[in-house]
Amino acid sequence: MAAPFTLRKIGVPPNSANLTEARRRVFDFFRAACRSLPTVMDIYNLQDVVAPSQLRFAISAQIRNNAHVTDPKALPLISVSLVIDLLLFKGMEELTDIVDHAKQRHHIIGQYVVGEGLVQNTGSKDQGKSDFLKNFYTSNYV
Amino acid sequence: MASLSATSLSFKAPSIQSTRISQSISFGRFQSSKSLRLQISCAAKPETVQKVSDIVKEQLALSADTALTAESKFSALGADSLDTVEIVMALEEKFNISVEEADAQNITTIQEAADLIEDLVQKKPAA
Repeated sequence: MAAPFTLRKIGVPPNSANLTEARRRVFDFFRAACRSLPTVMDIYNLQDVVAPSQLRFAISAQIRNNAHVTDPKALPLISVSLVIDLLLFKGMEELTDIVDHAKQRHHIIGQYVVGEGLVQNTGSKDQGKSDFLKNFYTSNYV
Repeated sequence: MASLSATSLSFKAPSIQSTRISQSISFGRFQSSKSLRLQISCAAKPETVQKVSDIVKEQLALSADTALTAESKFSALGADSLDTVEIVMALEEKFNISVEEADAQNITTIQEAADLIEDLVQKKPAA
């Protein structure tokens, strides 16, 4: 067996300097999450419910949900890498909670296994909205 | 656990056979069997490439009759960078290895993935 993977609790790391570093952090987070999957399946007894590949897909779907955060023009006051850092922080928090057994089985199954999870999380933001709503913040007269 | 022992058995078998052969034949033939062994360890075994292709197909949701050669690039098959990382993680789980980040950056084709897997499986201390 490969050496068992433990989630090291690093404090809040300094902000990423550019998109490349933010990208690297996203992949590192994804790898850490995937490597914790055997532990998670063990803790919550998910062996009969779901396969690790499905959970991996759920994790990547969550990351893809926020993949649209790359356009600097859409966020004039904040840099894109800071937003990505924040999303990663929340993701890391969620992962730590799950690995620490701070959640319960029905949370995991409801959020990551069955369908699309909680209703308010379905679909990525801003997709499918009308043009009127998309331009609402920019101007009244587009 | 059962699948782990099966894969480790399949990797060990050829090397055991070749060492037996090299011990039993005369000195004159020793060179050729040694070079034969070197040939096997350089290229990834076809069964490894096949397993990698299966995982790639499943991950990218390709139809079963998509032609996948060893040189197919992941990006050509419609995988973005997150997909590539996901494929590497699936391979990690299947072959029970641990791929470092530096190695993972260089994987772009199926052949490279299979070679890296073979490398890591051989380096892993025999369980």
